Amino acid sequence: MNPFLDFRSVPCEQKEIPLDRIVRAKDKVMDHIVEGYLRLVEEEAKDLVWLVEHSRVVKAYNSAVETIRDIPFDQDDIEEFCAEMDASDKIPYMISGPAGIYVSALVNHAQEDHIVLKLKDYRRTFHFFGYRLPEGKTLILEGNSGDFIGAGLAGGRLVVKGSTGNWCGAGMTRGEILVIGYTGQNTGEWMRGGEIHVDGRIRGLGKRFFGGRIYQQGRLVAPDEPSRSI
Amino acid sequence: MGMDKNGILRETVREIYEYISENLYFNRPDLEIKGERFNAGLLMGLLTGLSQGKELIIGEPGLGKTTSAEYVCSLLYQFPLGTIWGSEVSGHPEQTEEKIIGRPDLGRLNQGEEVVVWSHFTLLPVKIVDEINRLPETKQSMILDGVDRGNWAYLNDAIINREYCLFATANYEDRGTNTIIAPLIDRFDVMVESKHPSANLAYLIGMKDSNGAALRHEALESEFQLVLTERMPYSARMEQIEGLCARFGQDLEKAAGIRTLSSADRETIRTQKGRIPLDLDSNAFLRLVLSELSFCYRLGQKRSHETCHEGCHFTEYYCNRVRNCISNRFPTSARVFSQALAWLLGDETVDVEHLKAVLPFVLAHRVQWKEDALAQREKEPRSDPLQIYMAKEAVKEMHRRYMEQGPQVKKALAVACRIMEGEAMEPVRGDHPLYWEIRRDLGEEVVE
Repeated sequence: MNPFLDFRSVPCEQKEIPLDRIVRAKDKVMDHIVEGYLRLVEEEAKDLVWLVEHSRVVKAYNSAVETIRDIPFDQDDIEEFCAEMDASDKIPYMISGPAGIYVSALVNHAQEDHIVLKLKDYRRTFHFFGYRLPEGKTLILEGNSGDFIGAGLAGGRLVVKGSTGNWCGAGMTRGEILVIGYTGQNTGEWMRGGEIHVDGRIRGLGKRFFGGRIYQQGRLVAPDEPSRSI
Repeated sequence: MGMDKNGILRETVREIYEYISENLYFNRPDLEIKGERFNAGLLMGLLTGLSQGKELIIGEPGLGKTTSAEYVCSLLYQFPLGTIWGSEVSGHPEQTEEKIIGRPDLGRLNQGEEVVVWSHFTLLPVKIVDEINRLPETKQSMILDGVDRGNWAYLNDAIINREYCLFATANYEDRGTNTIIAPLIDRFDVMVESKHPSANLAYLIGMKDSNGAALRHEALESEFQLVLTERMPYSARMEQIEGLCARFGQDLEKAAGIRTLSSADRETIRTQKGRIPLDLDSNAFLRLVLSELSFCYRLGQKRSHETCHEGCHFTEYYCNRVRNCISNRFPTSARVFSQALAWLLGDETVDVEHLKAVLPFVLAHRVQWKEDALAQREKEPRSDPLQIYMAKEAVKEMHRRYMEQGPQVKKALAVACRIMEGEAMEPVRGDHPLYWEIRRDLGEEVVE
């Protein structure tokens, strides 16, 4: 009896490059990514304190983009980096804000157009995922995520299979955010364009709203909702 | 799956879940599957009823262990509550085979004939054993076969239930409880805790009158009683009972607007869900779990009377934290319950999410943890009883390993398939017990 028949259709050709060479190359890429992150944290959060201010966010993002410019990473590396940040001694300090911005920079400049991050496997909550996600990119977040998810979204498609914290879609200009669960306070604050669709509850809408549309369970709640609270 | 008969049946089952959770069994949702939140106790109860399964419900006295099972049985199998109450067996030290299974017909015995009067518990497809752990260990073996296969034997007679499901409740240890013997506990597909509903829901429960009143039907209960006590062959009796069940279902729909399932509906559901295949990831993940819970590098397999040797290489895996070898009933329960869950959620295949949701409840009662593994976890903050918490953590950890190694594990299985078919390939090597098990299946000698 062949107990493995179910797996007959799985491709299993031997790759030409030996495994240890791939592992070495992967390790090198990961070392560069981690190094870049540590440099960013050192620059941006000297006292391990990082305040969310527009100018600092922009500066951190630009700095992150600069850092990763020459690293040949892919989706697997981004996932591995998230796992490293979540539970590893390789990264001595994880500061959620810069970490999320750094991951966003990686996502926005990855080779793949469609990226899935399985957040429910992580113990930590990540912020700023999907920051400035550009047109043509789809980011799927499986699990709950933190604050400022999809902030400054710039034409991409962000799907959150879970709930988000506060300031979801803050300052987004184009694109679409789809949240299967709940969103927190100030959803869509400073939003200028694009759409946010929330299947669950919206704890609170942003007070300064300049454009775009927010739907809750298919119902338009902004800009038409006068009281701005659901 | 489209909204054909399957869709209507699923809708009915979901309505039953909603009806029980909103009117009869108040409890918090504590299980999230694919974005939907359920109460694990109630959900597993429903899946048990749909799968002809066996469920062990543990918990403090008065927290709805028995009543939740009664509601599920009443609505899935169309029996009024009074009939279910009359068939329940309660576990106590003086319990006898004659009260549980059947007794000789004394009048006929006097005339020299050996005729068995079967108990209502044996006859009805829904079976509830209340406080099973108050049965002394020696008497627990009386119900082993019946619990396992629905076969009930007394004197020289036997009946085999056409369809059946079994719910047993157990209180936490006190002066009157006994250990449930290993062969009996392994026969349960799942174990759940009926939890305290929270202070606020408990207040609401206290402010309501008897909440199962809608499921009573005194006139039909008397008719059920008559059919159950009459002397007639099992098949004829079951036909009459099904007729009464259908009437109860109609009356319930008319009076309370609740749709229920007929025996044909249940049969259709079982056929539909039985056809839902496991996708490759859930298939490989289940193999990974099985390997961790049965593997021993040195002794061939886990055995509960043998201990791990000093300096074993596999200390990171669960084989090093458990005493016993997982039984073959475990993968069956895992498949049946994950298929039932996939059916309920309207999914076409069983995927890892379904499996991850049911595995803790399928595992919790089957794993005998080593003392140090228990001690390590005992004090951790948690919202489940230790056994279920440990099982949940174990599933989480094994899933994490699968996430890391999934493609490699599938490749190893695919390569093994090719080798079995005669291709000249090298088996994939890896650290996880599953790779070693594959190599053993391919005939390699991997024991020291």
